[in-house]
Amino acid sequence: MYKLLLIFKYLRRKLAPLFAALAVTLCTAMVIIVISVMGGFLEMMKGAAKRLTGDVIIRADLTGFPDYKPMIEGLRKLPDVEAATPLLRSFALAKMAERVSPVEVLGIEPAGLEAVTGFRDTLHWSAKDVLDDLQSRMPPMDTLSAAQKARYEAAVKRIGEADFREYAMKLKPPSHWGDLPGAVPGIAVPPGARRDSKGNYSFNNSSVSTKITLTLMPLTRRGDVRGEPEYADFFVVNEFKSGLYDIDANRVYVPLEVLQAKLHMEAHAERDPETDKPTGKTISGRVTEVMIRAKPGADLHAVRESVEKYVQEFLMQRHEFPLIAVETWQERHGTFLGAVEKEKGLLTVLFGIVSIVAVAMIAVIFYMIVLEKTRDIGVLRALGASRAGIMSIFLGYGLAIGIVGAAMGLGLAASIVWNINEIQDKLFEWFGFKMWDPSIYYFDKIPSRLDHTEVTVIAILAVVSSVVGSAIPAFLAGRLDPVEALRYE
Amino acid sequence: MTDSPTPSNAKPQLAARGVHKTYRMGDADLHVLRGVDMSVRAGEWLAVLGASGSGKSTLLHLLGGLDRPEKGDVEFEGQPVFGKPWGELERYRSLRVGFVFQFYHLLPELSALENVLISAMVPSGVFGWGKVKKDARERATALLQRLGLGERFKHRPTRLSGGERQRVAIARALINRPAVLLADEPTGNPDAETGRQIIDVFRELHRGGQTIVMVTHDRTVAAAADRRLVLEAGRVKE
Ligand SMILES: Nc1ncnc2c1ncn2[C@@H]1O[C@H](COP(=O)(O)OP(=O)(O)OP(=O)(O)O)[C@@H](O)[C@H]1O
Ligand SMILES: [Mg+2]
Repeated sequence: MYKLLLIFKYLRRKLAPLFAALAVTLCTAMVIIVISVMGGFLEMMKGAAKRLTGDVIIRADLTGFPDYKPMIEGLRKLPDVEAATPLLRSFALAKMAERVSPVEVLGIEPAGLEAVTGFRDTLHWSAKDVLDDLQSRMPPMDTLSAAQKARYEAAVKRIGEADFREYAMKLKPPSHWGDLPGAVPGIAVPPGARRDSKGNYSFNNSSVSTKITLTLMPLTRRGDVRGEPEYADFFVVNEFKSGLYDIDANRVYVPLEVLQAKLHMEAHAERDPETDKPTGKTISGRVTEVMIRAKPGADLHAVRESVEKYVQEFLMQRHEFPLIAVETWQERHGTFLGAVEKEKGLLTVLFGIVSIVAVAMIAVIFYMIVLEKTRDIGVLRALGASRAGIMSIFLGYGLAIGIVGAAMGLGLAASIVWNINEIQDKLFEWFGFKMWDPSIYYFDKIPSRLDHTEVTVIAILAVVSSVVGSAIPAFLAGRLDPVEALRYE
Repeated sequence: MTDSPTPSNAKPQLAARGVHKTYRMGDADLHVLRGVDMSVRAGEWLAVLGASGSGKSTLLHLLGGLDRPEKGDVEFEGQPVFGKPWGELERYRSLRVGFVFQFYHLLPELSALENVLISAMVPSGVFGWGKVKKDARERATALLQRLGLGERFKHRPTRLSGGERQRVAIARALINRPAVLLADEPTGNPDAETGRQIIDVFRELHRGGQTIVMVTHDRTVAAAADRRLVLEAGRVKE
């Protein structure tokens, strides 16, 4: 009992325990923040990677493979497959607003992509965004002339009827724009696209409703460029924002059939090579990829196995032997995700090592406290306290400081992690210092999340280390001889 | 004298049997006690006199079980104090003897009352304390009241005068109802007036049958005791 009383009393003493607790607090907070930001980064990477790939992907080279329609029919019958969608990948020169840049073109079936990866959620502009943007730029209503007012109201009505998400889901603009197919470029593809300091885009600078011209290179079946380039015009019906800057700056979605036709990969009637007469057979169109969404809770590796087996058999029957890879999304982005994962582990270990400083600091502070309390220790021993009793006072003291420090560290880390983007905005406002530049990183916000198990483990480790830090001083205190301790000046 | 004629009269309550104590200081050994024989009977008030540095405190530490003699033995009620199983020495220190130090040695973080109570907490574990807590509190307040500290329970030692601190230290030594009270210069530090007060306290304790061994270098203080012995050259000179 006297131990608890003394621990309590010693805790209420001025600076020394405060410093010790502060050391624990800072180390705990530091490790939790690092692990949370890195973990959030990794999680966002994974989320984005999965959104871009689906759960499992079947992938050939750019010459693609045929008969994807029956293949997808068959895939959908596999037990753990929920949805599958074809994809044609190619590269093009994109001309927008008189500027040309290289892009990756993906021919898609929007409804199918929505079923596999949630395409609709990545579409950035809704009618409301457009109206908000328009309103924010309008002068006050009463300064407008009647004609201007009428024009404005007509515009509001027109936009209100236009649902940009629906246009994108059909990859088709409203008929009054003109008779062209629709395209959805990444939000950072248009040359005018600019992010503000918070990483947000303005509809004002968006390319929606403008024209985009793609120059495409059709490949022969052998994979060579032999013919003339093809040109294709589209109206931009919306823009997507996947969260991965590289993708957002380089990718354009267009309708699958349009891209197939331009790349000479569409379905067509077979002609006899000698007579050039139709033989009555149809040659299937080609795609380069099939994305698959597994049923919720399915083991992706098992799904990949069964998909791979099915695809091999399917192609074998057709005497087609394209080079095909079947991968889960983790495997597809393995090197990249692996690097980030390693980085997270490395940083955590490094900061853990830094935390040993906290242990040493506690040891020193506790040693000072023991020295200062030597006479009191002698008194307690003279009153009949055992060596173990004295030791446990200081171990308990270390435990208490560890608990207080870890709790404060947790609080500090949580408040920083939850407000990290606001903190960074404030830092930018005050000092012009930007720790996270959205145009450098893949994401426009600093990602972060608190993981319960990680946080619990770190907090327990913090408590354990402060007990360890107090162990040597506690042991020395327990070894003090009562008479010697009483004589200590 | 004031001794009651009980059988324990024959056997001493506490005794030192030919104890030697040497302090090693570098290469020079300081042989402080060279075969001290002394004893105190139950209810007796013994004063130990001697020049400064003659080893009075050293002897008292041995009697209180705080230090071991390298030769000889200390006996409490006929039983040796040292060389007993684990925890026995601690029990002896906390329950059989009460120690009043030469320089009070109160714990600065605790109030006067807590300084007294902690002595009762030490021998009763965390769980045992619940049972004895009420009783111990009553005894502590009664003791402090009796020693004239009724108003100062909550004060920290730094806010008490030397005499008051000494009385808190005496209350702490008595809280566990020890058989023997060991006091090292209880009147050494306070002024003459408080010194007299403290002697009055001892006198009252003695009247209540408390065995007391008191170290002092002051012959007038020693005169209040039943018996006196003088330490000189490491031996007892009656
Ligand atoms: N732990 C120790 N180490 C070394 N020398 C010591 C130790 N304790 C006491 N001494 C020495 O032993 C001698 C006796 O000390 P002790 O404290 O017993 O004397 P004392 O009679 O109580 O003196 P005083 O009247 O001044 O209190 C002194 O010379 C002292 O310096
Ligand atoms: Mg002395």
